[in-house]
Amino acid sequence: MAEAKEKKLQKKSGVHMFDVVLYIVFIIICLIVIIPMWKVVVDSFNALGVYQFRFWPENPTFNGYLTIFNTHKLYRPFMNSVITTIIGTFIGLALATLGGYVLNQYDMPGRNIFSMFLMITMVFTGGMIPEYLVMKQLGLVNSMWILVVKHGINVYNLVLMKNFFEGIPASLIEAAKIDGCSPMGIFFKIVLPLSKAALASIGLMFAVTIWNDYSTVQIYIQDPDQVNFQYMLRVMIMDGDTPTSPYKNVSQETLYYAAIVCAILPFMAAYPFLQKYFVKGVNVGAVKE
Amino acid sequence: MSRKQDKLAQQVLGDRKLNKKSLGARMWNCRGYYLMFLPVFIFVLIIYYWPMLGIRYAFFSYKLRDIHWVGFENFKTLFSTSEFWRAFVNTLQLSITKLLLNTFAAVLVSVFINEMANLLMKKTVQTVIYLPHFMSYAVVAAIFTLFLSPSSTGFVNETLKSWGLIDRSIDFLHNKGMWRPIFYLINMWKETGWGTVIFLATLSGINPELYEAADIDGATRLQKVRYITFPALGNTIIVVLILNLAKVLNMFEPVFVLYNSRVYEVSDVISTYIYRKTFLTAIPDYGYSTAVGLFKSVVGATLMLLCNEASKKVRGRGIM
Repeated sequence: MAEAKEKKLQKKSGVHMFDVVLYIVFIIICLIVIIPMWKVVVDSFNALGVYQFRFWPENPTFNGYLTIFNTHKLYRPFMNSVITTIIGTFIGLALATLGGYVLNQYDMPGRNIFSMFLMITMVFTGGMIPEYLVMKQLGLVNSMWILVVKHGINVYNLVLMKNFFEGIPASLIEAAKIDGCSPMGIFFKIVLPLSKAALASIGLMFAVTIWNDYSTVQIYIQDPDQVNFQYMLRVMIMDGDTPTSPYKNVSQETLYYAAIVCAILPFMAAYPFLQKYFVKGVNVGAVKE
Repeated sequence: MSRKQDKLAQQVLGDRKLNKKSLGARMWNCRGYYLMFLPVFIFVLIIYYWPMLGIRYAFFSYKLRDIHWVGFENFKTLFSTSEFWRAFVNTLQLSITKLLLNTFAAVLVSVFINEMANLLMKKTVQTVIYLPHFMSYAVVAAIFTLFLSPSSTGFVNETLKSWGLIDRSIDFLHNKGMWRPIFYLINMWKETGWGTVIFLATLSGINPELYEAADIDGATRLQKVRYITFPALGNTIIVVLILNLAKVLNMFEPVFVLYNSRVYEVSDVISTYIYRKTFLTAIPDYGYSTAVGLFKSVVGATLMLLCNEASKKVRGRGIM
C-alpha cells in the first residue's frame, strides 16, 4: 500500500525526465574536464602535432618522454622538483605536527602568546619585496632550497594539525603521563601513531603545494640548474625556449605535451589510490565545529 | 564520605594555589614543549617576522646601494600613478568575479551531484572533477595556451574554423576583449570541482526527513531542490564567500601565468604590478615596490579582520 503510494508520488514528480537531464549534465561535466586532459595525454604520444582531438595517437612514439629524460636542461628541473618536494614535505609535516601539538597544551604557560605569534602571520605579511630582500641576505636567491624554506612552515596546516590532535582522547595522554611518559615520548609514541590519516592528508597538501609552486621560482630563481619543473615547462611553452631533441620524429608539440604530462603525473598516478586523503585535507579542519 | 570529598577539594584548591604561585615551576615542567616549539618559532621568525622589518623601506628610496629616507614620497607617487589604480581596480574586479563565478558553478554542480541517485556515477563524477585542482596554474596555463594558440595546431581555433564559425584565427590570450572571459573560464575549469567539496559536505548533512515530509506533501523534485536543497546551502555559501573575500588582494599566480604585455590594461593586478616594477625594471626602486606591497598588506589585513568578524557573526567562529 505504502509502496504503491510512493511509486505514484515518484511518477508525479517526473522522475524519468529529471534523471535523463541529470545524466546528460553529468556526462557533459565529465567531458569538459576530461577532454583537455585526454588530448594532452594522447598528443604527448603523437609524433606529429595535430589540432584535432584524437582518442588514440596516430603515430605513436615515446620520443617526447625520452627527450625529457635525456636532456639535461629538462631532467635537471624534474629532479629538483622531486628533491624539494620530498624534503619540503618532510620538514613541513615535522613543523606542523610539532607546532600543532604544542598549541594544544592548554595548561602550558605562554600558549596564548604562541598562538598569537602564529595567527598574526595569517593576517599581516611583509610582502613580496621585503621577503625577497631577506631571502637574498640568507643566500637563498637562486637556490632551489628556497622552496623548502618557504613552504616548510605553513600556519594554516599547523592549525589543521592542531584541530586533529584535539580529537585524540585526553584520557590516553593522561594515562601516558601518569605512567611517566615525557612530552616528547607522548608525541612520538602516542600522538603520531594515532594521526596517520591526518599526516597523509596534510603531507599530500604540502607535497602538492611544493610540487606545483611556480611563482616562487619565477621570483627567486634564474639559474637554470636550480629551477623546478613547473618553471621549466612554462619557459618552454610561453617563451618558446625549446631544447633541441636528440631524437627524430618529435614535433615541438609532442615535447610540450609530454612535459605537461610529466608535470602532473606524480599526483595523477597517486590520485585514484589516495583520493580520500586528498579530499580529507579540506575537512580535517571542519571536524571541529 | 563528605570528609573524603572535602579533602579532595582541598587538594585541588591547594594544587591550584601552588600552580599560581610558581609560574617558573610550571614553565620548567613544560620545558619539553618549549623545546618542541623552538624549530617552529625559528622558521616563523625568519619567514614571516624578519620581512616585516623590511617594511621600513616603504619610507626610503632604495636603488641599488643607495638608500635614503624620503618619508611619504613613495605613497604620494603611488597614489598619483594611474597604472597602480588600474592594477587595484583590476585586482578587485578579477578576483571578485572569479570568486562569484566559481562559487556559483560549484553550488550548481554540487546540487546536481546531490540529486544523482546512482552511487557509482556520483563517485566517478566527483573523482573526475576534483582532478584539475591538483594541477598547478603553470600547467593549466600551458595546456590552455597550447589549445588557444592561433597556430595551425591550436585546438580551439582550428576546430572553430573547421566548423565554419570563424574565418581567421583569434589570438584569444592576446586579445583585450577575450582575455577576461577566458581567464574566468579557465579558473572555473580548474576550481569548480574542488569547490563542491564543502557544499557536498553540507548537503550530506541535510536531514532526510525534510525530503520525506516534502514527498508526503506532494512536492516535485524541482520544488525540493528549490525549497530544501538551495536554502540549506545559504549559510555555507556565505562562509565560503567571506573566507575567500579576505584573500582577494593576494591574486598573483593565476594572472601571472596567463597575462602578457598586450593585455595589461585588463589583466594587470597589484602583485603582478609589484613584480614588474621590481624584477623587470632596469634599476628597480625597492622602496617604491615595498610601499605598494605595504598598501596591499594593510588593505588585505583590514579585509581579513572584517571578514573574521563577519565569520564570527555568521558561524560563531572566526576564520583563523
